[in-house]
Amino acid sequence: MSKASAVELASTPRAGRATRLSFGAAVNAAQRQAMELDENVFVFGIGADGKAGIFGSTAGLKERFSARRVFDTPISEQSLTALAAGAANAGLRPVLVHQRFDFLLYSADQIANWIGPWRYISGGHATMPLTIRAIVGKGWGQGPQHSKSLHSWFAHLPGMQVVMPGSPADAKGLLLSSIFSNDPTLFIEGRSLYAMEEEVPDEPYFIRLGRALVRRPGKDVTLVAIGSLVPGGLEAAEQLAAERIEVEVVDLRTLVPLDLETVLASVGRTGRLVVADPGWRDFGAAAEVIASVCERVGPALKAAPQRVTWPHRYAPTSAPLEAGYYPTSADIVRACKSAVAGI
Amino acid sequence: MGQTQAADALALYRMMRLIRRTEEILIAEYHPANEMRCPMHFCVGQEAAPAALSLQLRPDDVIMSHYRSHGYYLAKGAPLDAMIAEFYGKATGSNGGLAGSMELAHHGFHFYSGAIVGGPLGLAVGSAFAQRYRRGGSGISVAVFGDGAMDEGVSYEALNLAALHRLPILFLCENNRYAAHTPAPARAASHDLIARAAAFGVAVRRMPDKNPLELAAAMNVIVADIREGRGPFLLEVETYRFCGHVGPESDDHLDYRPVAEVDAAKASDPLAAMLRLARAAGVADAALEEVDASCDEQVWSAIRAAKAAPFPRFQDLRGIEAANGYAPVVRELIDAAPTRFLGGQAETRLRPY
Repeated sequence: MSKASAVELASTPRAGRATRLSFGAAVNAAQRQAMELDENVFVFGIGADGKAGIFGSTAGLKERFSARRVFDTPISEQSLTALAAGAANAGLRPVLVHQRFDFLLYSADQIANWIGPWRYISGGHATMPLTIRAIVGKGWGQGPQHSKSLHSWFAHLPGMQVVMPGSPADAKGLLLSSIFSNDPTLFIEGRSLYAMEEEVPDEPYFIRLGRALVRRPGKDVTLVAIGSLVPGGLEAAEQLAAERIEVEVVDLRTLVPLDLETVLASVGRTGRLVVADPGWRDFGAAAEVIASVCERVGPALKAAPQRVTWPHRYAPTSAPLEAGYYPTSADIVRACKSAVAGI
Repeated sequence: MGQTQAADALALYRMMRLIRRTEEILIAEYHPANEMRCPMHFCVGQEAAPAALSLQLRPDDVIMSHYRSHGYYLAKGAPLDAMIAEFYGKATGSNGGLAGSMELAHHGFHFYSGAIVGGPLGLAVGSAFAQRYRRGGSGISVAVFGDGAMDEGVSYEALNLAALHRLPILFLCENNRYAAHTPAPARAASHDLIARAAAFGVAVRRMPDKNPLELAAAMNVIVADIREGRGPFLLEVETYRFCGHVGPESDDHLDYRPVAEVDAAKASDPLAAMLRLARAAGVADAALEEVDASCDEQVWSAIRAAKAAPFPRFQDLRGIEAANGYAPVVRELIDAAPTRFLGGQAETRLRPY
């Protein structure tokens, strides 16, 4: 694994041109190219065909592909999810967009009772190739009903894939792979990432679901960063490097499938583990990663694992409280230092 | 016309009789053998609607059914052997033994069902959307559900979406007056189910199931309209469940429905009516007797085959449990970073609205 990671570390811009794109523009490009590649792909959701285009992520798609393939909807998340499921079972590749993850909860029945088990209970005969995009709000008082990230809920369901990109180029490659995966996929986008930019290859490309990425090498501590905490993790690693603490940043990319191999290989090198998870602490994704590592190599760890998460309470709207609610790179720095100090 | 009538009558009788005998024999075999180990919702008394539907359907049509589904599975033309093997939990079942009765499906015959009430309406919207999306076909989708599903919110979302998109979908509502054991008056102040659907712009009709020939004739016109793109239709069929809500035993000792009501329903059994109608249409007694014998033989043969079939094994399920790969358009998957993302950028700050 360490050899493979060394290869992954190299910046590998693919042959061909790349353009500097924001996260939102990269999501947009992925859908545009998916629809160009396959007539079976269609995009829908509340406001999907509007001028604003769901924070720009669907802007221009209707003009390019017509209202047949890109359309607005009533506020009916449950039946929209069922629409996606029935269409996916028939071989289409729907992309259902939720401007805010919180509204997705209306479709929890569809996901847990129908979509998740669909292929399994069919005896493997049917497939469910649908993608649900869910955007997690953050800041300006989004509060308890506009800022939740319940990735661990859905990662708990057998049969569901959960994808959490942490950079623009990953957003494009992972969304293309999600759309063309034959399994149902929940694709979670941090709103806080939307304006971040990166060189994004112009051509379509597909990032393997279930393979984590070592974004930065380091020998002292493994930082598993998830989704919107990837940039903060890289920033923390940069700061710690100045203090001669070398952090290996592993971008998980997908919760399900979970690439434990890459995490274990890194922890094998560093002996220390910190997980940065943009969600609530208790019973969450960080807990799952830490438990999985401890089950396998617990006695070999040099320090107790640490987790950096949202506090276990709802996001407050009051600006000062909100500012103190979300973990920052400073929290990640502290956790890494604790791990290295063996505290 | 007379010949068509007789042929339809015979076909209807054959399907109704097959469904009835399937259920009766399964009920008799269920206990004490205890070899079919899954909850089952039998449809004795409710055979007319699936039989009438069976005359209208084509292979590319889709049924999304509720859990009282055995009749609709057979109405879609799916094989009896695979259904009964499924109930026995065998590898030869239509779902490989993984679903049992409540989520019975046969993907090859585009038949699906499930136990969560109201679910089939939404799923049928999806399959009808796909049928319309792929231009050129004339396939339709049928959502089968009971009056209990009209208590669920998702049903109204589905009716609205179907009307909004003018989808090729038949909403087939079996009104047997009880949601499990809860009667209609305990569930709503207004009982006009078709008025609710009509409010969304869905064409509607209500019919009893006591004359299966008339029911089939009505469905024939409705389905033709749907195929021609005239939009969704909700047909409410007034029916009655002779058996218990779930399991082989009667549940009438629970006193949730009046004895006189049950007796009256059984006295006007649609299968008995169908037998009379078939005779009146000129179907020969010999043909009807042949149907009776054939139905029993088919069911017993399926039970024998199911009992002899192997159970599924965990090691055979690994391929089903693992991820299922990608579309052919994905020729290469990359593991590396597409470019070098260094972070160090400010988070998106939301602005005042």
